[in-house]
Amino acid sequence: MYRYDDFDRQMLADRTSEFRLQTARRLAGEITEDQFKPLRLMNGLYLQMHAYMLRIAIPYGTLRTDQLRRLAQVARAYDKGYGHFTTRTNLQLHWIKLRDAPDAIESLAEVGLHAIQTSGNCIRNVTADPYAGATADEIDDPRVWAEAIRQWSTVHPEFSYLPRKFKIAVTAAEKDRAAIRAYDIGLHLRRTRDGELTFEVMVGGGQGRTPYLAKTIREHLPAQRLLSYMNAILRVYNRESRRDNIHKQRIKILVNTLGVEEFTRRVEAEFAATDGTGIDLPDTELASIRARFHVHAFETLPATSAAFEAAKAVDPEFARFTRHNVHPHKVQGHAIVNVSLKVPGETPGDATSEQMELVADLADRYSKGEARVHYTQNLVLPHVKLDDVPAVYAALAKAGLATANIDLITDIIACPGLDYCTLANARAIPVAQSIARRFADMDRAEQIGELPIRISGCINACGHHHLGAIGILGVDKKGEEYYQLSLGGSGDEKAALAQILGPAMPPGQIPDAIDAMVQTYMAIRQDGERFLDTVRRAGLQPFKEAVYAEAH
Amino acid sequence: MPKLIKLDGEGSENQTARWAEEEFVFVPDEEPVPATGDVVVTVGRLLGEGDALLTSGRRIGVRVQPHEQVETLAYDLPQLAVVELVFAKFRDGRPYSTASVLRGRLEYRGEVRAIGDVLREQALHMVRCGFDAFVPADGSTPEEWMAAAHRYRHVYQRAADDRQPIFAERDMIASGLGHNRPDEVEA
Amino acid sequence: MKVLTANNLEDGEAVFWKGGQWAVRFHDGERFAGDEDAAPALAAAEAQPTVVVAPYLIDVEEIDGHWTPTAFRERLRALGPTNHPQHGKQADGDADVEALRAATFVARSAGRVKLIKR
Repeated sequence: MYRYDDFDRQMLADRTSEFRLQTARRLAGEITEDQFKPLRLMNGLYLQMHAYMLRIAIPYGTLRTDQLRRLAQVARAYDKGYGHFTTRTNLQLHWIKLRDAPDAIESLAEVGLHAIQTSGNCIRNVTADPYAGATADEIDDPRVWAEAIRQWSTVHPEFSYLPRKFKIAVTAAEKDRAAIRAYDIGLHLRRTRDGELTFEVMVGGGQGRTPYLAKTIREHLPAQRLLSYMNAILRVYNRESRRDNIHKQRIKILVNTLGVEEFTRRVEAEFAATDGTGIDLPDTELASIRARFHVHAFETLPATSAAFEAAKAVDPEFARFTRHNVHPHKVQGHAIVNVSLKVPGETPGDATSEQMELVADLADRYSKGEARVHYTQNLVLPHVKLDDVPAVYAALAKAGLATANIDLITDIIACPGLDYCTLANARAIPVAQSIARRFADMDRAEQIGELPIRISGCINACGHHHLGAIGILGVDKKGEEYYQLSLGGSGDEKAALAQILGPAMPPGQIPDAIDAMVQTYMAIRQDGERFLDTVRRAGLQPFKEAVYAEAH
Repeated sequence: MPKLIKLDGEGSENQTARWAEEEFVFVPDEEPVPATGDVVVTVGRLLGEGDALLTSGRRIGVRVQPHEQVETLAYDLPQLAVVELVFAKFRDGRPYSTASVLRGRLEYRGEVRAIGDVLREQALHMVRCGFDAFVPADGSTPEEWMAAAHRYRHVYQRAADDRQPIFAERDMIASGLGHNRPDEVEA
Repeated sequence: MKVLTANNLEDGEAVFWKGGQWAVRFHDGERFAGDEDAAPALAAAEAQPTVVVAPYLIDVEEIDGHWTPTAFRERLRALGPTNHPQHGKQADGDADVEALRAATFVARSAGRVKLIKR
């Protein structure tokens, strides 16, 4: 587990002092709201519908148990005893007071947590594969590189006032569990035949008003040059993006305006002209970062566990849990256990302080003291012995954390939406709840199979609606909440943007519409096809007819 | 009257700030350049009349708008006494890159001055990107400016200033060379 | 009619102008006949940067003897999140709140939209 050293701790302490000072200046009227806003955003603080929202960074989705417990405590002390895990693997608290924020941040800093740059026009939390360090299919731990980027980008003097926000995601497996093509920079770490580490660098992805998938600008960047290459990308962006229209200031717009060839040429020219020796990390530092991702040795165990198999045989609900929530681990006899925060009828991605503490306890007992946040708004216990999975399941089940629905139709991503967020046009949570209740029957959900539904309350797409097999976008139609359905999106290595199905509909019609599409899928699916595969094969037409024939 | 703050001292450890007299006059494009006196002109004017100005026996400076590319001035830079970078809005961070390029590959050693929407809360960013003169818009004094520029005991990355990044400090300690050991006490 | 609203600087709560003070209950908010009548209050609110953030006017209407914001978004601001009825102002559960919840709301949100900055 990554451990901060004294330098990292001093950075957090100094950041906390600075933010306390800035907040005091604002409360005293020394600086205006206009001057203060970017400062508080760069400390994760939004002013929302009912209160301030604090977005706490969970770098590359990895948490030590003392950190998870501190999140629970801060949620209790400064909020209403719960938090919301986001699609950027951060934690949001929705009822924060500005006058408490410096104290909350100081409390977080004690365990190496912070809210630095989780908002604002700067480089945001770097996300990575949630199974990093636990999966057999990665060629290196992407979090080492995510941490290198985190340090380089923290309080970067040149890149703190960018045209717009900047999001980076890293993976080191062919299976993309971090949706890297959906971000401003997506990094895919590979190993060449000679064993050299290289990055495929993709730029210009982003959802929102004008969604794009990132385009590759460099197939093979020697890994050691990562930071100076990113420096080149950021500098070209910072200098050359327009600054006159906030809706056209993401790097995806610049890439598409210039064309990927010209954009690449400018980046390569900047890269060639910059001396990287000051920017790139020396091998000693990379080794030092790598060493601080300390994992205890794993026990040598047989590939199958008698206890695990026995539990499956006697308990069909546990068997179902193992079918969906338990993934293979790189070390024999171990497993990756997903903790679903998607109880049908509850708010997707929310966890109470008690639930967080339970997961921390389980992580301590069964997962080498480590938990993860998945961008699908679920949690992960990455290093569980198969022998222990039944006990973990039993404890999770008692706390309402064992819904066996990972990747199924009720594993819905939904942003907080208009219930909390001033940017929203419509609510997302009630839509998620109504769909999940309709499909709460676990047998039916299993028969349907993998069906990612993604719901956003506005075009900013925090609910990833462009990447859903079914995407749902809330819009304001003459003061009423209406919802636009789209189909066929995905955020994995075969990433694609969903296509709009037809006219928007009121929320009451949505469960029926989803049901109609599911029934169509079940009727025409061929062997082994997921919903997404059937949509891609059969096109939108059958689904359009099913949904709109109903309505008209 | 705008107040000018200048930095003195070699190296970020020895840096001090003081009030300074404004010795340059900015001449807008519509006005004729006075016969004598140090002047700051626009990029357009410098590119058009640079040869005459730079041989007129006085100090010449240039005022660069956020969208203007300083590479076009590369030839004249060694003779420019001051480069003013305009912050149109404090949120428009283009001058940070411009200053970085000036100090970096263009190796400019004259004065780089921040003017416009220049606020104390961005002092750190400006100083680290190589600005050494400032006309604050918020009434900040040199003491306040320096305090803001030195809120962080350490920095994670190299910039145009000479502050050692944390990874270099770690390296020095690992090799037994560091004398500035981090505190043992938990922050 | 109009009501003047803002968020408290210190705690972010949605508040409503009432004769120079800020009330947390929507129903305690002062109602103005229109933009002109509300203008002095709006100006006064804008001159309180250490008290509130981003004051603006919202449309309100009377339905069955109870006042309600016209815009759906403002109704949510006056009540609280719909997924947690025990959170926010709606937890008061009084008659006004109940009526607000039950009220129908049809008009487009006004005013707030142009203030939303990223």
